[in-house]
Amino acid sequence: MGFALMLLASCVRHPDVPASSSETQSLPAIYPDYCDVTVPCNIAPLNFMLPQGEYSKCVARVTTPDGQQQTYGKGVKVQMPEDEWHAMLDASKGKSLKVEVWGEKNGEWTAFRPFEIHVADEPIDEYVSYRLIDPTYVAWSYMSISQRNITTFEESEIFNNEITMNDRKIGQCINCHSYQNYKTDNMLFHVRLSNAGTVIVNDGKISKVNLKRDYTISSGVYPSWHPAEKLVAFSTNLTRQAFYTSHPDKIEVYDLASDLILYDVNTDSVSVICNDPDLLEVYPTWSPDGKSLYYCKSVPLPDELADKDIRSTYEKIQYNLYRRSFDVASHSFGEEELVYDAASKNKSATLPRISPDGRYMLFAEGQYGCFHTRHGDADILCMSLDPSSPDIDLAIFNSEGFADTYPSWSSSGRWIMCSSRRGDGNYSRLYFSYFHDGVVDKPFLLPQEDPEHNTYRLKCYNRPEFMVEPVKISVDRFSRVFDK
Amino acid sequence: MNTDKKRQDICIYASLAAFFLFAVYILYLNREVLYTAHDRSEFLYGAPFFQTLMSRPFGLMRYVGAWLTQLFCYPAVGASVLMAIWTLIFFVGTKAFRLQGNASALMLLPVAFLLTSIVDLGYWIYISTIRGYWFSQSVGYLVMLTLLWIARNTPRKWHLVWYIIAFCSYPVLGWFAILFVICLAIIEKPTWRELLGVVLILFAAGIWRTLLYSNMKSDDVTALAGMPRFITASDCSEHLTIPFWLLGAVSVIIPLCSRYLSKAFVPMACAVAGIAFTWSMMFRDSNYIDEMRMVRYAEDDKWQDVLDVVNENPKPTVSMVMLENVALMNKEAMHENSFKMRNDYSAIYNPDSLHVSFLEIASPVVYYNYGLLNEGFRLAFECAVQSGFSPFYLKALSRCAYANGEKALVDRYTAQLHGLPFYSDWQPAPVTENIRELHRAYPNELTGVENSISYLINSVVFWYEADSRIASEQALLYSMLRCDSRCFWPSLRQFVKQHEGETFPTHAQEAYILFMDKSPEKRRMKIPVSQEIYDRYQRFWSTIENHVSRGKTLKEISEMICNDYGDTYWYYNIFGKKIR
Repeated sequence: MGFALMLLASCVRHPDVPASSSETQSLPAIYPDYCDVTVPCNIAPLNFMLPQGEYSKCVARVTTPDGQQQTYGKGVKVQMPEDEWHAMLDASKGKSLKVEVWGEKNGEWTAFRPFEIHVADEPIDEYVSYRLIDPTYVAWSYMSISQRNITTFEESEIFNNEITMNDRKIGQCINCHSYQNYKTDNMLFHVRLSNAGTVIVNDGKISKVNLKRDYTISSGVYPSWHPAEKLVAFSTNLTRQAFYTSHPDKIEVYDLASDLILYDVNTDSVSVICNDPDLLEVYPTWSPDGKSLYYCKSVPLPDELADKDIRSTYEKIQYNLYRRSFDVASHSFGEEELVYDAASKNKSATLPRISPDGRYMLFAEGQYGCFHTRHGDADILCMSLDPSSPDIDLAIFNSEGFADTYPSWSSSGRWIMCSSRRGDGNYSRLYFSYFHDGVVDKPFLLPQEDPEHNTYRLKCYNRPEFMVEPVKISVDRFSRVFDK
Repeated sequence: MNTDKKRQDICIYASLAAFFLFAVYILYLNREVLYTAHDRSEFLYGAPFFQTLMSRPFGLMRYVGAWLTQLFCYPAVGASVLMAIWTLIFFVGTKAFRLQGNASALMLLPVAFLLTSIVDLGYWIYISTIRGYWFSQSVGYLVMLTLLWIARNTPRKWHLVWYIIAFCSYPVLGWFAILFVICLAIIEKPTWRELLGVVLILFAAGIWRTLLYSNMKSDDVTALAGMPRFITASDCSEHLTIPFWLLGAVSVIIPLCSRYLSKAFVPMACAVAGIAFTWSMMFRDSNYIDEMRMVRYAEDDKWQDVLDVVNENPKPTVSMVMLENVALMNKEAMHENSFKMRNDYSAIYNPDSLHVSFLEIASPVVYYNYGLLNEGFRLAFECAVQSGFSPFYLKALSRCAYANGEKALVDRYTAQLHGLPFYSDWQPAPVTENIRELHRAYPNELTGVENSISYLINSVVFWYEADSRIASEQALLYSMLRCDSRCFWPSLRQFVKQHEGETFPTHAQEAYILFMDKSPEKRRMKIPVSQEIYDRYQRFWSTIENHVSRGKTLKEISEMICNDYGDTYWYYNIFGKKIR
């Protein structure tokens, strides 16, 4: 009844279903492809459209499991009001919405084969944050670390690279936002070049610190907050970028050197975790219980390649996944243990993330190197950390021939997210999948109020992170830490 | 009395007509600049671009200006709209300032400043980051004058409301909102109550920053938002803001002095002052215009037109030389004509010492046509990220992506182009066989790029290893351009192999004779050369020796023999400014 009232109260125009149409057995070629996806019960409306130019109108009829129906469509776009959509999701938890789509072409209507949107019982974390940047080359301009409420379409900036830039000649770059346990009272991000430093929020208090020490090769780079302690594991990297003259990947990023450090937020002290001078350690991540640190480490090059310029050996550099136990009381690490031997499969593994229940590990895997966000062959893999359970096949989650990287788990462990260039090979977007009972469902693209937003936004979604709450500190307040 | 009135009318109309004709003439002279303005100005269809601009003060004016700038795709259309806006400024200004008779000609001055502001940019056109620059100031000023006109026609008791409206309009009008308040306060002496409104505007920027623009650097909101600032990471030109300061100053002075400026000479003086100011500030350089023409023709693959432009030009720039060689390649006349048409270049006329080069002017087009698709894409992208995804860069990115087989990426960029007024059907042109063959000749390597021109030359020069006819021609040309005998001989060998049984091109013969003569001990191969060319080579050196023996300097000699030998490779090799 409430749902029906809400529909009546809505001021959105609900078009009529075409009186006559020809039927086709094919699914509608909607963008984004939401046919038969599984979504959380609190996700923002899955607005979509038929291809502009090919069709002139689109009408969709959404039917809830209890038989309530509503129609949407304006031009070729189907944009559903948030209140109506959430009411439909509430009525469909654990079941499915049926979606019928009609498209008008040259004055003739076609009725496509209906599809379903499965609504999971489990909600998704309300927020994700990401860096919005141009696909990286040498030059950059405006960039921001932004947060999006994915149950609505609200997006806001956490920080941008202009508000505190005090030297236009060198510019400013911001990166690597990270949170403790999906919450934002303890978080950090880096500011590079002009006004450089790492901004750390410690129980809501903001400070800017310099993580470079005499005994480290750089300041902190890729971070991971310890789930319980005020500790952050960082890699330190000497990173370089180069360009392929004709390879479709276009860009290669590699490390000349990289180590791991542990930063104690309370004491502002930095200790070295590992710094093998011949090998490259990178992408640390804590297990959810905080008792292990996972990371990637390169395998030694054959002797004949060991002293060669990295630009001639980069294709031979491969990373395996390791872990070390961690003693919280003494801040000491145990012996290194190989977790995943990618090199033996002639592969390279990066960006490990452990599921909240500690049973699975997501990571990116490509042929070589550590910067898989630019490798078309990079896919996400899911390895079981429990020897008695099988690995999970993520074929449905991955794209064919496009980089799929930056995997992460929602706080419940029921939703996984990655940044993928599958749209056009250049601009990465966020994809989500339902992870349940050892199965992963078809992924869906981060919904936008206007589905064309995905086409018109010329920025990449970089380093996506789930959050259970928004960052409450304003850009302006963050910027004041640079005045001190 | 009637005669005086008639004389006054004639004086005003003559001044207006003179200025109008001058403005039309200036816009006609700058028609290529206007086309380039549209080609290098960002306007993106869709919410993200709109929201980005609207998140800043003066954003709506910039958005409107960015859209209107696209009308310059047909310079006459854009110029007509601009002239219409200026005509409105003139008439609304006379109403707003209540100028009558001769004094009405004072409104020519703001128009002259706005006209100047679009013809004085020079090479800033390639690097400016100011969205909607070409129209936003004119539109903003017109809105400000309209508000002033309406305000002055409302009862005095409502004036406080106008001060509040001015405060509220700061996000839309930026510095014009402040100008509006100043003008209104000067014209209609404010009461004590209205002074509160004037004071409010003093704090408008700060208040609006807190309310709306807290994500922005304070200076970007408070320092006369919307007033163009010509500043990038590496360049700054303060003098380009002069027309806008004068626009503001004149707008304040006009209401103060208009009653004293109704003398008969005023219209003529205003017209002359406006014309003199614009003429003195206008950026004038034939290469500046010719580069734009060549790039436009090259974008449309009109190679004969490219060659026609460079044929008319005695001192081409680097960008022109590079485009000339691409055109010659596409006209299959490279080795017969390249050095005839000159390969030495002159520096661009760049009084502000801006960091503008071949990279910004022409590199994406040249790289694309040489089949260097990843590099062409990257350079277009680097420039677009800094100065905006303008039609020029969207077209370049689309063409590179299309040639690379990245259909979805082509669709993304063409979708943006299709949102522009004159690009609704635009699609990348078919990829020529030359581009495909050169692309195949290009080995995959991991590399960095420090300098686009040297990188291009160094890349092409090593194509002698490729089993490609056209690549061998390019490798030979670029080894000659580099005057590098180490690359010349392998390039020549490959060229001969790829052109077996064909006539040996004139410039290649010239280079062959020269390199043989310079280092006979390094002779690598023997090929027949024309006796006529060899005799000319002998005469070339004996002429130089004669001049040297008479004590002439190299520069003097180069000028003296240019007419006789300027069309040879030897002249380029000995005297030419080398492209590196």
